[in-house]
Amino acid sequence: MMRSTPLGRLRDTAVPWLLPVAILLGWQAAVSAGLVSNRFMPAPLDVVRAGWDAGRTGELWTNLWVSTLRALSGFAVGGGIGFALGLANGLSRLSERLTDTSVQMVRNVPHLSLIPLVILWFGIGEEAKLFLVALGVFFPIYANTLHGIRSVDPALVEMGRVYGMSRTELFTKVVLPGALPSIFVGLRYALGIMWLTLIVAETISASSGLGYMAMQAREFMLVDVVVLAILIYAALGKLADALTRQLERACLAWNPAYRSA
Amino acid sequence: MLLDALRREAPTDLVPETRVADANPAPAPRPTETAGRGIAVTARDLRKSFDGHAVIEGLDLYLPAGGFTAVVGRSGCGKSTLLRLILGLETPTGGRIVLEGPETGPRRSDAPKRIMFQEPRLLPWARVVDNVTVGLSGQGSRAERRDKALAALAEVGLSDKAGQWPATLSGGQRQRVALARALVGRPGLLALDEPLGALDALTRIGMQDLIERIWLAQGFTALLVTHDVSEAVALADRILVVEAGRIALDLRVDVPRPRRRGDPDLARLEGRILDHLLGTPQDD
Repeated sequence: MMRSTPLGRLRDTAVPWLLPVAILLGWQAAVSAGLVSNRFMPAPLDVVRAGWDAGRTGELWTNLWVSTLRALSGFAVGGGIGFALGLANGLSRLSERLTDTSVQMVRNVPHLSLIPLVILWFGIGEEAKLFLVALGVFFPIYANTLHGIRSVDPALVEMGRVYGMSRTELFTKVVLPGALPSIFVGLRYALGIMWLTLIVAETISASSGLGYMAMQAREFMLVDVVVLAILIYAALGKLADALTRQLERACLAWNPAYRSA
Repeated sequence: MLLDALRREAPTDLVPETRVADANPAPAPRPTETAGRGIAVTARDLRKSFDGHAVIEGLDLYLPAGGFTAVVGRSGCGKSTLLRLILGLETPTGGRIVLEGPETGPRRSDAPKRIMFQEPRLLPWARVVDNVTVGLSGQGSRAERRDKALAALAEVGLSDKAGQWPATLSGGQRQRVALARALVGRPGLLALDEPLGALDALTRIGMQDLIERIWLAQGFTALLVTHDVSEAVALADRILVVEAGRIALDLRVDVPRPRRRGDPDLARLEGRILDHLLGTPQDD
């Protein structure tokens, strides 16, 4: 829905935010009026205050930085391996026959069920978190890369051959761009799994990070810090999604479905 | 006549040629400076079967360099397979195909074979001009390729669309981009696999004129596979009717160019081919 007047455009931008703002206001009002005990649910202003305090002492930034670093390194390792194996299996029958069955078997094991084993192997150090995040991120990237390469239009590949493209050109100009929309689906899915895995791992076994911060707060009944941590997860998830969306828009500008309005 | 002279080099066991429309014996005027750029095609006892089912059965064929030949036939008669065999997209089960370039030599890149498919097959993620440079894969610098691609786009009248995505073009414009891509590498043989089948009638006539004009100017060998007999008689100077994997009819079209649509000679020829395809007895 496109409106041309500035007022109309403002209204269009404002509409999606009406509901969250209304919920926040209602929440604050309910706690202030004593309808909800702030031992179970802190008021939004308490959460803001908790964020301010944690930010001033630097504790919040340290934990946020530690968690982000873990998430990104796990993502790089797992996503890199998944992407490489997806490419290999999409391009080579032999590689697929050799590895795909095994990958599909392991895929059906919920990776979080490995936490006890991982703690035994790595203790509660960085390796444990990196391993779990990498494992969780691997599968969506692998499966979608493979699917993307498989679904490249064979008519275009034939065209590339007839027009004398080398194998490298065929890959960079036809196969990879054709697989990209599917790879992006895997990327967004993997980013969600990345945060989920990291938070669970940090909640169970860590001595720093956002999940650890939330668990510590629970020990001391600091409900506002617990809620703060949850809101930060939401913001981080939204941020990752927005970045992917931008990347998609830049890389898939040729596709009318992704073109910005 | 030019074509007869070329034909004399052909293998002797060809299907006897039938001559029609002899009222205008003058061959199509051909610019001399581009003549001789075409690839001549000879096929001997060509066979192709898929899973034991024979599609082409012992076909002999000679396409002179620079000629415009149309292959017509019912669907499933093997005409597309014939084209794919000549292009090297399929390996023959038996027999052989020889392509002879203008200055016969090992430098095959001098006069490449090109094909236009029924669908444009443009890369949707490449801008129009980059789609055209695909026709120059492995040749020259990036700037050279771009200049040539822009020139080819100008030739098909799409200079203003160079920076667009293929998704924003109409069906006819996409097929013109595909034509520019096929022509930019200066092919010696251009195979057209029902390239206009999906276009509306008016766009198709415009494309036919464009293809004819460019063929006259560049002198490549053109091989058009089509089920549209009127398209074949409008464009080709020779028409092969393929039936059950063999050439059933080999007709000359000696109507001078530019050909007028609705020309009685063309209409008579078209009627004759249709009669043959539909199995109606002929009285001439």
